[in-house]
Amino acid sequence: MTAARVDTPQEPPPGGRRFRVSGDQAVRWTLYGGTLVLVVAVAFLVDWERLQSQMFRWDLVQAQFPGIVTQAARNTLIFTAFGFTGGLALGLVVALMRLSSVAPYRWAATVYVDVIRGLPALLLLIFIAFGLPIALGVRIPGTYGRGSVALAIVSSAYIAEVIRAGIEAVPKGQMEAARSLGMSRGQAMRRIVLPQAFRIIIPPMTNELVLLLKDTALISVIGVTDATKELTRFGRDGVVANANATPLVVAGLVYLALTIPMTRLAAYLERRAGASR
Amino acid sequence: MTAPTLPAVRLVDLHKSFGSLEVLRGIDLDVQRGEVVCVIGPSGSGKSTLLRCMNLLEVPTRGRVFLGDIEVTAPDCDLDHVRAQVGMVFQQFNLFPHLDVERNLTVAQQVVLGRSSREAVEVALAMLERVGLEDKRHEYPSRLSGGQQQRVAIARALAMGPQVMLFDEATSALDPELVGEVLGVMRELAREGMTMIVVTHEMHFARDVADRVIFMDGGVIVEQGPPADVFGAPREDRTQRFLERVLTR
Repeated sequence: MTAARVDTPQEPPPGGRRFRVSGDQAVRWTLYGGTLVLVVAVAFLVDWERLQSQMFRWDLVQAQFPGIVTQAARNTLIFTAFGFTGGLALGLVVALMRLSSVAPYRWAATVYVDVIRGLPALLLLIFIAFGLPIALGVRIPGTYGRGSVALAIVSSAYIAEVIRAGIEAVPKGQMEAARSLGMSRGQAMRRIVLPQAFRIIIPPMTNELVLLLKDTALISVIGVTDATKELTRFGRDGVVANANATPLVVAGLVYLALTIPMTRLAAYLERRAGASR
Repeated sequence: MTAPTLPAVRLVDLHKSFGSLEVLRGIDLDVQRGEVVCVIGPSGSGKSTLLRCMNLLEVPTRGRVFLGDIEVTAPDCDLDHVRAQVGMVFQQFNLFPHLDVERNLTVAQQVVLGRSSREAVEVALAMLERVGLEDKRHEYPSRLSGGQQQRVAIARALAMGPQVMLFDEATSALDPELVGEVLGVMRELAREGMTMIVVTHEMHFARDVADRVIFMDGGVIVEQGPPADVFGAPREDRTQRFLERVLTR
């Protein structure tokens, strides 16, 4: 880029280039103008009063509290915590199986990951809540139980792939050095490879956590009691009860209050990891 | 166990293939206790593979490996136990980047040898002193120069109390001005009577320190003998050509 700038004065100013620059500017001004027209049009066409009364009625906003925090957000976080813990444990096992030298382990883990990742989370959730009891007589007790197990299984497939990528990103020499010192494969994995792998995967893992938190909304379909309502169900019930969208908007804001700090944290960790390399 | 006639390392008709590529084509070798053997040869000649077969980082396709009176290639051999007695130093150092220098030296002592943390630290400090880096015990590897990292790697291997030390092109990844300090540590080890098998491109080191030089090419040992003979009056054409190439550089 710098080189091009140095070269230009030596050549006669290329007419085509100058034309292109003013062409860029014309496009830019057209965009500015178009955007302005659009904004003005929206401002005039939208019935703001109605919008406010339907989506952000202040008394309804206030009516959501404190329940939306003490009950709904709390339940969302409980499902997230259980789901993620379970997903992490299960995902680690699956990742290690995928990297195993025992072929049947590898096959089983590959099939597991392919199937779970290839199915909609909603379908799995419904299957675990309603299909399992009918088909196998297995009934996981409680909404917390069913919801968390379903989320753990869904997230475990994605987490397994993240962990596997992390393990594979640790140079092979680390395992060899550990083995050459007499450590068994398991000892080397636990003490040398996994600690490094987990450091590498903190940013993608944070993303998985955000995805999981949003997926807790799916639990609203499997029949919850008042006590186990999470944010989406809480908002939806509010909409139905009041014939007004305000509760859902507030629920959305609470989601953002949870997810945006997490994605920001992930971005920060990613930058820091990149800088230390 | 330490019968004086028993070699520290014995390789019998060792073969190793990667797929259809035959890297080792029948190696027979005895290394005596306290002997320093330098392995030289063009790249791709199988030197590193030979070394890696000795502690079974690579599993030989055919042939047998003995360390002292233990057959490493026996199916019931406790490999982890054997590997703890064979120190290995890698071209890329392979220090554990998430652990500080002291922990790099103690982790295997505790996990593999079952030493207490105090005991392990004591050994670690003694080994760091041996390589002149006792003041770096709390640094992380990334804060050390390549030469310092490799000296820590040597200390880490020594902390396990190995019977044999294997060096796999230990100075090839170093900046030229850092090679000397690592070779210095290796020289000192040789002087103390450590059994060493050294794959190297440092011909001066081989000439000065080795009791025996082995020239490998195409997966076989082409020629071996005291450094004065191999360097001074090589018998084989291939050895001559290789030495001309590397020594006139």
